[in-house]
Amino acid sequence: MGTVHAKANQHDIGDSGGGLFVFEEPVEMGEEPIPKPTIKLDGVRARVDRVHVDGLNRTKDDIIKNTIDDLFHATDFEDVIVRAHKVRRALDSMGCFRDIGVFIDVSSGPGSTPEGLEVTFQVKELSRVIGGINTTVSENEGNLVLGVKMPNIAGRGEKLQAEYSMGYRSTSNFNVTATKPYPHKPLVPIVSASVYQQTHEYPWSGYRLLDRGLLMDLAFKSSPTTKHNLQWEGLVRETAALSKTTSFKVRESSGPQMKSILRHIVTVDHRDDAIFPSQGSWVQFSSELAGLGGGVAHLKTELQAQQNYELIEDIVLQLSGAAGVLHDMFGTEIPDHFFLGGPTTLRGFQQRGVGPHSDGQATGGKVYWAAGAHVYAPLPFLRNKNGISSLFRSHFFVNAGCLAAPDNGLTNWEWANSARVSCGAGVALRLGSVARLELNYCAPLKARTNDCTAHGLQFGLGVHFL
Amino acid sequence: MPEFNLSDSIITSLNAQEPWPDNVKLYQPYEVEQILLPDNASCLAVQAFLKMCNLPFEVEMRWNAEFMSPSGRVPFIKCGAFVVSELEPIVQFAANKGVTLCAQLSTEEKAEMRAYMSLITNVLVNAELYISWLDNDTYNAVTRVRNSSVYPWPLGWLQTRQKRNAVAKRLKALHWHEKSLDQVLADVEQCCNSLSQRLGDKDFFFGTTPTELDALIFGHVFTIITTRLPCRRLAETVRRHETLVSLAKRIDERYFKRP
Repeated sequence: MGTVHAKANQHDIGDSGGGLFVFEEPVEMGEEPIPKPTIKLDGVRARVDRVHVDGLNRTKDDIIKNTIDDLFHATDFEDVIVRAHKVRRALDSMGCFRDIGVFIDVSSGPGSTPEGLEVTFQVKELSRVIGGINTTVSENEGNLVLGVKMPNIAGRGEKLQAEYSMGYRSTSNFNVTATKPYPHKPLVPIVSASVYQQTHEYPWSGYRLLDRGLLMDLAFKSSPTTKHNLQWEGLVRETAALSKTTSFKVRESSGPQMKSILRHIVTVDHRDDAIFPSQGSWVQFSSELAGLGGGVAHLKTELQAQQNYELIEDIVLQLSGAAGVLHDMFGTEIPDHFFLGGPTTLRGFQQRGVGPHSDGQATGGKVYWAAGAHVYAPLPFLRNKNGISSLFRSHFFVNAGCLAAPDNGLTNWEWANSARVSCGAGVALRLGSVARLELNYCAPLKARTNDCTAHGLQFGLGVHFL
Repeated sequence: MPEFNLSDSIITSLNAQEPWPDNVKLYQPYEVEQILLPDNASCLAVQAFLKMCNLPFEVEMRWNAEFMSPSGRVPFIKCGAFVVSELEPIVQFAANKGVTLCAQLSTEEKAEMRAYMSLITNVLVNAELYISWLDNDTYNAVTRVRNSSVYPWPLGWLQTRQKRNAVAKRLKALHWHEKSLDQVLADVEQCCNSLSQRLGDKDFFFGTTPTELDALIFGHVFTIITTRLPCRRLAETVRRHETLVSLAKRIDERYFKRP
């Protein structure tokens, strides 16, 4: 087992000594003061003489040194603890270790100062190969995923991940991703590249899509809550009609196409929770430019936003909105279009049930807007906040939206008047920290003749909800 | 992607009994820059058949005709709500609407006609595929260029390679892959022999009116003798059979009168 020893430069500070202090994680820092009434920790002067990191094997010293550097700037004992906690979190977020223990002791031996401390991190590196079988949810489809992960390949947090998944709609996908983080560069960039194959069936539109592509991604943060993704994606997509009765308009768009996309996504997230937030706002703006190579050229921009207010305790009002515009240059086909309707977007309508249809199959639109207002409340009669009831919320909602493919350009605003409205109530269930499941009773209030409404119970499973 | 569904075909035959509409369209790849020898032959055969039946249609060229087709092969026709691909299903579809070319044939003659039609699909179609995809000169000079002409690079290269593999797989299963060009031409020679013997000096195979067999032979013979390829031996082999060539010319003059 390798060990990193880092040592501070000698210079004299004060006189009072520190004591033995060992703490096991997790310790909640920050809001709550540590309940030690007899000693005021921030009054105890202290400095860190040495930091040991035990259990290093293939992780490179330089990134560890950069991570723990912060500890040497501590001036009192409370500061040491807070910074040790931060370092522990930073080590954890590198994704190279499990079981990180922190020990703080008075320093001894040559070179120790009177109030000097020694901090020891005991880490266990993750094994070189991790395999797993798990299930995931995406837009209305559950998948069985077989995965292999190789964390920390070259010792600086690099990761190689391979996944093969089978969906219950007999689709099979794979994805191989290589990731390289730069945790100590400004803006904390993460570079990743992936190769993938994805099969999707869209019975509501009568086609099947097979995407094979390459995705390069540069993620960075311009502030702690603002995340950017710059992406280039090159893909070959094969569209095929699902059956003989597929609408001819959908059939016309079948065949292989190549697409090259430049994309920028910026996300600002001030919410306190991703699934059931009680306050804060979230905005995502994505713009994509296709057409630098390939046979499809368009400009596509989409804005999604959410705002949460806690009205009274546990009762949350959520306002959300989304809008998108697609400007076609050439080659844009049905799979590039926007679609609206279904349990994750405009509830009370069938999947892709809003907007232009051809023989009962959704052909999508080039411009849309959607908005929703929700009131979330805990389940009635279950007042225990921390038990199973924390996974559930009941909600009431009103959704509205519109999707159109205006023939005479986007400057004619007539399409925007044909709003569809629905309302309802139901129960939402948190699945892990990313997905959500909803069971709602929906009543469409306003629909157009071509729309496919879904009056009654509607079940939705997804990652992102309107 | 080929899709076959029993209920679909039942619905097709039940609902198909209305008369032939005016807005029928025949979809095929671009004739000038894209279409390949085997596809061109089958498109021409279907066109000849529809013209012989005096059924109005319009030819519509699409780069993705092959992928739009429910069977994955060209040509296909769109007739109202129905999409029917390839000669035999189209013949069947027209028969459901009461249009047929072999009404006066006896049962034995009909069986004979089917036998000759399957001879053509088994020999001429495979020979065309062989020449287009497995003969290196033709593949490099013609097939590769034409097949990838509608795609941006490198998709054209990918698609062509994928299609070549699919054709090679099909020919392997039929034991044509191992054959040399001489063996292939010998098969073609034999096929043409038996066809021209059956034709004799008649105007058409079964008397004075054409059948779908004549349409099919016209499609293949006319395409083979008029398409310029680096490998001319296939065209030469077919051209030696005067009776077949004159049948093709006769049909061309009668049904494809060009101004």
